[in-house]
Amino acid sequence: MGCFFSKKSKKKSREKEGGTPTNTDETNAVPLGNNTDEAPKQYSWDKRGKVDPKDYTLMGLKDVTVGRLPGTLNGQQFFIQDCENCNIYVFDHSATITIDDCINCRIVLGPVKGSVFFRDCKDIKCVVACQQFRTRDCKKMDVFLCCATQPIIESSTGMKFSCFQYFYPELAFHFKDAGLSIFNNNWSNIHDYTPVSGENNWSLLPEDSSVLDLVPAPDPESEFKSVRISAEASRSIVPLTKGGRRKGSEESCLFVFFAGEYTTANARKLIDEATAKGFVLIQTKEVSMRPEDVKRVFQNNSEDLVEWVAKGPVIALELNGDGVVEACKNIASEVFGSTKVFVSDNKTTSSQDVDSFFNFADMQMGL
Amino acid sequence: MGLLSILRRLKPSPEQEVRLLLLGLDNAGKTTLLKQLAAEDVSHVTPTQGFNIKTVQSEGFKLNVWDIGGQRKIRPYWRNYFENTDVLIYVIDSSDRKRFDETSLELAELLEEEKLAAVPLLIFANKQDLMTATPPSELAESLNLHTVRDRMWQVQACSALTVEGVQEGMTWVCRNIKFRKK
Repeated sequence: MGCFFSKKSKKKSREKEGGTPTNTDETNAVPLGNNTDEAPKQYSWDKRGKVDPKDYTLMGLKDVTVGRLPGTLNGQQFFIQDCENCNIYVFDHSATITIDDCINCRIVLGPVKGSVFFRDCKDIKCVVACQQFRTRDCKKMDVFLCCATQPIIESSTGMKFSCFQYFYPELAFHFKDAGLSIFNNNWSNIHDYTPVSGENNWSLLPEDSSVLDLVPAPDPESEFKSVRISAEASRSIVPLTKGGRRKGSEESCLFVFFAGEYTTANARKLIDEATAKGFVLIQTKEVSMRPEDVKRVFQNNSEDLVEWVAKGPVIALELNGDGVVEACKNIASEVFGSTKVFVSDNKTTSSQDVDSFFNFADMQMGL
Repeated sequence: MGLLSILRRLKPSPEQEVRLLLLGLDNAGKTTLLKQLAAEDVSHVTPTQGFNIKTVQSEGFKLNVWDIGGQRKIRPYWRNYFENTDVLIYVIDSSDRKRFDETSLELAELLEEEKLAAVPLLIFANKQDLMTATPPSELAESLNLHTVRDRMWQVQACSALTVEGVQEGMTWVCRNIKFRKK
């Protein structure tokens, strides 16, 4: 059953052609389909079986380790409510998750296709990957976050953020299933709907914060013992980015991989090579470009890049450190000689490359 | 069923602007709906910080669709957008039972607004793609819609994400705009 409308009176609706508005006793909406012969429309949700939301809810739990193992949620919606002092592990991808009235919990949320919304929660430490991150009326939360869009908070205080840092074997697949890119992570620039002058409702966690100290691994006696998690920086499915933290050097370099078979693997390899040399990854983006964007972003010598953007989205990275441009150029020729890439040419113009690209990406990905 | 075809169907009188207002709680799916109407990519929708507007023009007629942010803090600004609204489209997240009372309250307050008097009301019972969503009949009961007598209204189940049900809702909008008291 797809539509539900106010008491109908077809006679009346025909009289309405003159545009006379209804008075309070009269009928109401013209029913969709407007003739009685038409069968009521059937939607996909009318045809499928029913599901009990309780099967997708964790509610009223205290002092326990709970959650969902890989393959048990499979993209459904999930609800977490009224839990206290629990360790909650959702090791699967989901459509959207709401977390209400929880106190003193440690929570890991596998990739969420839509929004994660915390309401009326307190003393939460969590690891979250999602398209949208929202809070309302929350207090004291530490969040290791991967968020595809700008995270928002409302009427919340003591909110602290750091970059998503987690691994379990199925996690990469879950990111794909949820339609999330590991390279699109806006974890450090939070929008506050209720800023308080003279105070900060949010801040960044210290860079050396230990994920497992705050969000412990599951109890080895629990049902989650089969999930081999790791919070080691080098193993994180989402590359660690400095985001809005202060950069160590004035010199940055833009490195862009064009679409190909191994783009993701190549990007990860670059990150490994560069970080091994002591350079820092500031930000990354995976975004589609149109031919008209190419000239504006890459400026000169960019004609040959135009055909490459048609092949698929590009992956761009900003690396930072003294000597990073030279280092990137060397890596490009030595490691990625046969791959289509763009690398900043010199350290005087490289900042502009970075700004051009990431400003374009921000605009592209906003409304 | 994009905005342009809606406009053409409406055939407003010359120089007239048709104005649709999208309201609802935060996270209801308003912006996803707006983007679908504009045939844009919905895989990267960000929480709305002020408002979004889409405008199409065709043969001298103009259609404006306003999508206003629904966070609690910024709902007081909704009233800035009431004037000259031809149809109010109220979007509800059918899967967020915890907030049915809240959305019910907000809707009830909107229906008391002078500037929205007699404005036809389309309620999108959104997120029906989720298996855990409340069916629209149940939703309509929770909202006490049978008590609404001063305007045309309709509840339409939809999924802004998959677009299913959206066209039917917009068809109702087209059919009911001319009944607005001017």
